[in-house]
Amino acid sequence: MLDQDSLHAFEARCTQESPPRCRLACPFDLDCRAFLTLLEQGKIDEARKLLVRHVPLPGIMVRLCDHPCEQACLRRDLGGAIALHDLELFCMRSSQSQERSLPLPPKRLRMAILGAGLAGLTAAWDLAHKGYPVTVFHNGEPSEALLTRYPQFQHDVKDRNFLQADLAALEKRKVIFQQEASNPELLDRLSRQFDAVLLDVDSASVRAPDRRLVNAQTLLWRENIVCAGWLQRTATGHTYASPSAQAGEGRYAAQTMERLAAGLSLTAERKKTQGTLHVDVAHVAHVPRVEAERDVDGTALYAAAEASAEAARCLQCQCLQCVRQCAYMQKFKGYPRLYARQVHNNAAIVKGLHTANELVNGCALCGQCAELCPENFSMAELCLAAREDMVQRGVMPPSAHEFALEDMDSASGPECALTLPDPTLPETTSFLFFPGCQLAASRGTQVETLWIWLRKALGTSATPGVALLLSCCGMPAHWAGRRELFKQHMKKLHTIWEDLGRPCLLTACASCLAAFREGLPEVRAKSVWEIMDGLDISSLLGQATNRADMPPVFSVHDPCTARNNTAWHTAVRSLARKAGAVLEEPTLSTDATACCGYGGLVWCAQPQSAKDMLAHRAAQLPHPALASCIMCRDRLAAGGKECWHLLDILLPGMTKSGTGREPGPGLSARRANRAQLRTRLLAGTGHTKPCSLRVPPELLARLEERHILLQDLEAAVTGAEACGQWFANAENGHRLGSWKPRHVTFWVEYAPENQGYVLYDAWCHRMIVPGSGGQEAEAVIKAQQCCTDGSRGGQGGGRS
Amino acid sequence: MSMAPNYGPDAGAWMCGRCQKPLEQIRTTAFYLNSAFDVVLPRCPQCGLTLVPKSLAEGKMLEVEALLEDK
Repeated sequence: MLDQDSLHAFEARCTQESPPRCRLACPFDLDCRAFLTLLEQGKIDEARKLLVRHVPLPGIMVRLCDHPCEQACLRRDLGGAIALHDLELFCMRSSQSQERSLPLPPKRLRMAILGAGLAGLTAAWDLAHKGYPVTVFHNGEPSEALLTRYPQFQHDVKDRNFLQADLAALEKRKVIFQQEASNPELLDRLSRQFDAVLLDVDSASVRAPDRRLVNAQTLLWRENIVCAGWLQRTATGHTYASPSAQAGEGRYAAQTMERLAAGLSLTAERKKTQGTLHVDVAHVAHVPRVEAERDVDGTALYAAAEASAEAARCLQCQCLQCVRQCAYMQKFKGYPRLYARQVHNNAAIVKGLHTANELVNGCALCGQCAELCPENFSMAELCLAAREDMVQRGVMPPSAHEFALEDMDSASGPECALTLPDPTLPETTSFLFFPGCQLAASRGTQVETLWIWLRKALGTSATPGVALLLSCCGMPAHWAGRRELFKQHMKKLHTIWEDLGRPCLLTACASCLAAFREGLPEVRAKSVWEIMDGLDISSLLGQATNRADMPPVFSVHDPCTARNNTAWHTAVRSLARKAGAVLEEPTLSTDATACCGYGGLVWCAQPQSAKDMLAHRAAQLPHPALASCIMCRDRLAAGGKECWHLLDILLPGMTKSGTGREPGPGLSARRANRAQLRTRLLAGTGHTKPCSLRVPPELLARLEERHILLQDLEAAVTGAEACGQWFANAENGHRLGSWKPRHVTFWVEYAPENQGYVLYDAWCHRMIVPGSGGQEAEAVIKAQQCCTDGSRGGQGGGRS
Repeated sequence: MSMAPNYGPDAGAWMCGRCQKPLEQIRTTAFYLNSAFDVVLPRCPQCGLTLVPKSLAEGKMLEVEALLEDK
């Protein structure tokens, strides 16, 4: 499965956990989203706690900060950046300090700070909070440098106590303030006496070095001396003091000092490389800033309700561009980065429950996420790799895809598969029409008609001869992660293609086309719609180019397997318009289309999830839908959404009114229809043998939900009757028999009726129970005993 | 006395169609994915034909199958 490196590569492509722009801009890594959430909820004390946890010298910083976060805010052009600075001040002014200083054991390494500017004091704050003994050497009063650089504190009586409080907090943390006169030897002396020294270049009495002599990455100047607190310089050469930059440097320098003193690498793991959080603001409404009365210096004086309203303007930046559109990802309540980790961990479990199996098998492998994601994160890639790995290691739950694979087997087996050359040109095959097993199952007569029309339309062209191949394309094997089976299936189809003289394949199903492009890249394959669009289809349409019952407007629904297949999209639209349809594109169309729930075998592994996907997609289509994939059509219609297949409007004479609302055939009928089409094509006419078992339609529909087919039921009744193994209910004469053709045991409750039987109920299980399923108890026990010795589940049979 | 869970038939007076004997609750073993479970089920005392009631097949048995598949 995924090794650590590829897992990290996967994870790195999902930016949902990346910090938002405001947090990235903040030198103190303030979690602005959380801060604003707390303010919005009126939890001012908690907001203050959060602020104080991130921001050094919180009173001073909140008052002085030049708020680079607001420059970065995505609300900037949507009503104005969130007034974070004003809100921080509001928070500090309207709450009480709740700091409880827990005494830390003092650390051995001693730190010196030369200069009590903002950088120096920030470093002192951070180091003292970690328990380092810190001495600050300064001129005059401890606050002198700060007040000189930022004179606003001198006249701001209201916030003056912030300064006192922060300085008092420093002293409480045992920071020693020591007056020291200007002395050229001072720096060298401190360097010898202390483990690390910070030179605050903005306020120290010692001459600061040229900035170019200081390492830009670590802020190390020489020996154990670190420098911080430079002024900012504009492009025009003007210098100014940025409080956030100075304090940010102070914090960074303090980290270097710790590493220096402890003898650690100054560079390792310092910069976390995380992609930028992608945020889609395309549909965000403009909301203006909440205005309030202002201070003399322009700070908004918010009342509590105003502050809450201003905080509520925060977009709470998140990516989730894929999750918002995908019912599957919403179901697991996470996002791709998290899912990649879960899938990876799932594969690593040796003993215990594989809790992410559901996640792996729930993806439709439709690729919409990769299309929507700015980094192209593909859940399909992840889940398909995981499925292939599970199959290879033999830990794929057998029930997940077995039914679909049996269906594929049946569609490609002697009962349903068929290769026919062009009857009028048996020696020449330019094209091979491959309708796909589901179109053959659902629109058999249309497939026949279309084949005849194609033969005729292409008969006079330079490339005549259209053969027909009825079979499954093998996509279910690919989706199930059965790489070997897919390869074998493709090999079989390749042989047929070779035998026919390597014709160009024409598919009417987007999944088939995708399967051929994946498994047989050497085969030239395109959609039948493309070919038809290049031909004159008037003979196909007949007179009725605008049917009375055709909806006035269709929402085009593209199949997910035709994603990035522009030729498919174009041809479908062009043909539909030629047939008189008016089309409207839904919001998510062509390359961004969503899956109907058939993709990735979700319909088989997790039918409920597939239904959710279907409902999700149906809701995105405002008008009756027009699908170019028969499974999309049948599933949408079964889900109650009016949906037409392209063939329904191209062959108007072959559908009756209400076609768009009619649900497609059930699973049993699909199998029967495929076999019927084959028989019909072979013999000209054909019909299935009359069924000896009568199953009420509503009962069959319920049973098919549990993947019990009419064919299984017939086999079970026949089997039970043949070997005489059935139970009799003395009360009503019902019989109960069981039959295990492959892995599943089917139970049928039935009774004789006229010449045949009538079914009352049926159920199935995968567990093997000796004495049921048409096998003698003894034989089953003997066959199983050898492999189960020593690994009996349950203690004393406590579980069934 | 057997400690294995005991599942009787769902509604109806069921008997073996082949032997015409009433069913008895007899202990047997069910197998799935390299695990085996003791269970008491209605069985014909003569030929051993065993009944798996619907309530069991669609209830506990389905649950255990899913559990074992994810193990």
